[in-house]
Amino acid sequence: MLFESLLAGFQLFLTPLAIGLTFIGILIGLLVGAMPGLGPLMGIILLLPVAIGLPPVAAMGFLIAIFVGGSCGGSISAILLRIPGTPLAAATLFDGYPMAQKGRAADAIGIAISASAIGGLIGGVVLISASPLLAKFASGFAPPEYAMLAITGLFAIAIISGGSLIKGLISGCFGLLLATIGTDEFSTGYRFTFGTHHMLNGFHIVAVVVGLFAISEMVYQVIGNDLLKKPDIKVERPGFGSLLRTLRHWGNLIRSSAIGVFFGALPGAGGVISSFSAYAIAKSAAKEGEKYGEGAEGGVVATESANNATVGGTLVPSLALGIPGDASSAMLLGALLILGFVPGPILFEQEPEFVGGIFLVYMASNVFLLFAGILATPFFVYVLRIPKFYLIPIILILCSIGTFALQASVFDLMVMFGFGLVGILFRAANYPLAPIVIGIILGPILENNLRRALLISREGYWIFLDRPVSATLVCVNVLLVAGALYYACRNRKRFFTKQEV
Amino acid sequence: MTSRTLALLVTAFFAVIVGIVFQQIHTSMHEQGIASGGPYDNAAAYPRAVAIAIAALVLVQLLADFISDRKETMRLPPDAFKRAVGLLVVFAVYLCCLGPLGYHLTTTPMVFAIMFICGARQFGKMLIAALVMSFGFAFVFEKFLNVVLPGGVFRLNIPW
Amino acid sequence: MKLPKSLRTIAATAAIVTMSAGSAIAEFPERTIELIHPWGPGNAMSVSQLIAKAMGEELGVDMPVISTPGAAGTKGQKTAMSRPADGYTVFDGYVAPLVLQPILGNADWTFSDFKPLNAAVSNAFAIGGRVDETRWSNFEEMMEYGRANPGELRYSSGSRNNLPHMVIAKVLQSYGVVAQNIPYTQDGNAVKDLKSGVLDFSFINVGNYIQDKPAFNIMLVLSELPGAKASYDGAPSIADLDIDLGLSGLAPMGWTWWIVHKDTPDDVTEKLRSAMSAAMQRPDVRGAIEKVGFVPLEWDHSQYEEVVGPVLDQLSAMGNALKWEEEELKKLN
Repeated sequence: MLFESLLAGFQLFLTPLAIGLTFIGILIGLLVGAMPGLGPLMGIILLLPVAIGLPPVAAMGFLIAIFVGGSCGGSISAILLRIPGTPLAAATLFDGYPMAQKGRAADAIGIAISASAIGGLIGGVVLISASPLLAKFASGFAPPEYAMLAITGLFAIAIISGGSLIKGLISGCFGLLLATIGTDEFSTGYRFTFGTHHMLNGFHIVAVVVGLFAISEMVYQVIGNDLLKKPDIKVERPGFGSLLRTLRHWGNLIRSSAIGVFFGALPGAGGVISSFSAYAIAKSAAKEGEKYGEGAEGGVVATESANNATVGGTLVPSLALGIPGDASSAMLLGALLILGFVPGPILFEQEPEFVGGIFLVYMASNVFLLFAGILATPFFVYVLRIPKFYLIPIILILCSIGTFALQASVFDLMVMFGFGLVGILFRAANYPLAPIVIGIILGPILENNLRRALLISREGYWIFLDRPVSATLVCVNVLLVAGALYYACRNRKRFFTKQEV
Repeated sequence: MTSRTLALLVTAFFAVIVGIVFQQIHTSMHEQGIASGGPYDNAAAYPRAVAIAIAALVLVQLLADFISDRKETMRLPPDAFKRAVGLLVVFAVYLCCLGPLGYHLTTTPMVFAIMFICGARQFGKMLIAALVMSFGFAFVFEKFLNVVLPGGVFRLNIPW
Repeated sequence: MKLPKSLRTIAATAAIVTMSAGSAIAEFPERTIELIHPWGPGNAMSVSQLIAKAMGEELGVDMPVISTPGAAGTKGQKTAMSRPADGYTVFDGYVAPLVLQPILGNADWTFSDFKPLNAAVSNAFAIGGRVDETRWSNFEEMMEYGRANPGELRYSSGSRNNLPHMVIAKVLQSYGVVAQNIPYTQDGNAVKDLKSGVLDFSFINVGNYIQDKPAFNIMLVLSELPGAKASYDGAPSIADLDIDLGLSGLAPMGWTWWIVHKDTPDDVTEKLRSAMSAAMQRPDVRGAIEKVGFVPLEWDHSQYEEVVGPVLDQLSAMGNALKWEEEELKKLN
């Protein structure tokens, strides 16, 4: 069954468009990853409007490749500029930058890219083998299970992801609320539409997310002082020899990738946590003579393989259950829905060839990452030299055309601008933005399945305890809340204020 | 601006949001007859519950902000503040003009203005960059992605 | 020396702009025509894309399909109506926003407020259950079970108050059976819950059926047309029932008739009509439509009133079935 779907997926993937876009996606991903302040999520958001006009496998290949490339690109600027392009690469700084100072920048970048690609491929093996099993297990899930699962996802994201727990929950609830705007499916009544037909289906998720993330980011960029400056960096040319150097750290590679996959599959965790954990474990397991923090290759291998393996891990619950692991995979789920596919067990049942195609584009993008990353590094160095005053208007045009193109609606542009202001307020007050996206995606799953479960039930809320899986999830949710409260009492500071990573 | 002022600002934002939820439940949703009944007909119960959760969490957070003696002052250099506001104003004006004037008349000036705000002063170079950016994007989106960009009252659309 | 250079660029821009403004007077169509589709992506949208692509080829321009789902199709209709009547916006006039929603009082237009192009496609629904069902084996037996256990049966028609819901409610009302409809956002999930035993029966469209034929016991095809019965491999249809539901022709089915704004100039409308009917007659288009399980329709614009009129009458006559179901359900709770 798995083999068949992969085989069928080949036919969808082996088109010039799909392969070409996966390759371009890697380049764009590396680019947005390398540019400080952007990152894989922003890349996905900015190019989603482009993707949804494409054939499905090509579109998903494009977006997944941006996710994969973006999770690696940050290491380039971390090593060369000492600025991690994304928080994912923050731990790569520890050993990557000292390596560069010792004149081994090209080696460091080569190792970072090779480790990312191998970590990504290991994550892919887990994705391909585990997600069909999870989907099969979940095929008996009915509305009660999905309602409980959505609650688990939401709690896990607020509790595990860094930052203030309360603020995370508030952001998540705000997302849930935004998801209620529009026509209610059950009563067929209109909620919060204020009598305008533009809001009959709620705000378009892309308009909201572009505003929240991209517009607010541009305002934050323009506050900086380095708008005209061209960073002075030397062009580095890594070679394929670094692949061999990386493979010498095979134990570290496998261990760190496993850590990455685990944190990826856990809703709410994700790349930052996994790269820091992998680094810490690699450091404690270091052999004598390996000086972590002073330019040890093992440090770069650990962080970069972990954060790319996370991508494979995070796609497991996203595809198999329709429950996103982080904001980037939430956007991928949004794209799937817009393209007309319903993530979850029915995707595996009804569209096996499409699932196979997704697996293949994921694996291919990691292979492309290795080649494109090593060959095109000089190009990214040139791009890093482009001053920001060119970059900001480019992104603003992309935001405007992209958002407009969704439904050819000027109203969506107003929504985007409004949420840009909300994004600025949230950033200034240290409220995380990612839970909003996750709330928007989980909102309809939670509400509709809750109400569906109650309609199906003949004895009210007992339906959640009558079914074994649903009852287990209820227990998990209770434990999560109890754990969070216990943690809150013990560590009041972390409960209220932002944790510095 | 202190972190305390910001905390109040956020609280005010959520107060408005929660207020809107309850106002809509009691007016529009009540009139539609979807504010009561079982799960089949009651569309108000869930947003009400989420709004109450937000209100409770915001209150706890507000309390915490005032109990903790940490009081950060965020200071933004006046220049940076001006740039941020300038960008927002230019972008807002752009979005408002996009509908009536169309993409081709508005985008180049917007890009030019943003570069100016960023501090660039090489006008010739900026103009060329602005033209390349706006028409380049228009070309890609209209030619390859079948997007019809807003033409405005003059119906300015380039048949590439 | 920088200013003259920039002045030259401005002159070049001005030239481009005037050129494009000049071409606005050119003959229709000189740019992309958009088809406003009232549903999200899925089979219906793919079919519309097929026809739009062929029609665009006839006209020599691109014809992208813009998906504007929401409010049982009325959002798409309202979006299309807010566009200028210049022929560059065509509406995918599905029965739900065009005829049904006005009957239910959710829209203030009627089908005659628009200029028709060609009829596009129709697709029939059926009521299906599980193959391993032990409580009944056919539709009549299920109705007996439903009468004996009022309010017990759980079914899904996809969304609430859509066309399948109306037809199923009418059938149930004729048998005096009260059942609870469970709305689903994605038809696929309703079918999954039917298979796993959460639902007792569900509306099944041809697409669902083709995908997994052995999984369903098709108990009743909701159309009396022989073609519909054939797409469900000869399962019993409403023509085989003892009672007369008062539904015939297109009335119990999903269909779309492409339309334009009433004020669209006649010469523009004529061009669109001939392009669409040429597209609908192409064998490749018809073949691709039939492959998805939809049926290409033959009618041209002159038959709009005589085909859609009776649908309006029949659907209006059964409008009380939904109200009846709601009230009976309330009585049980």
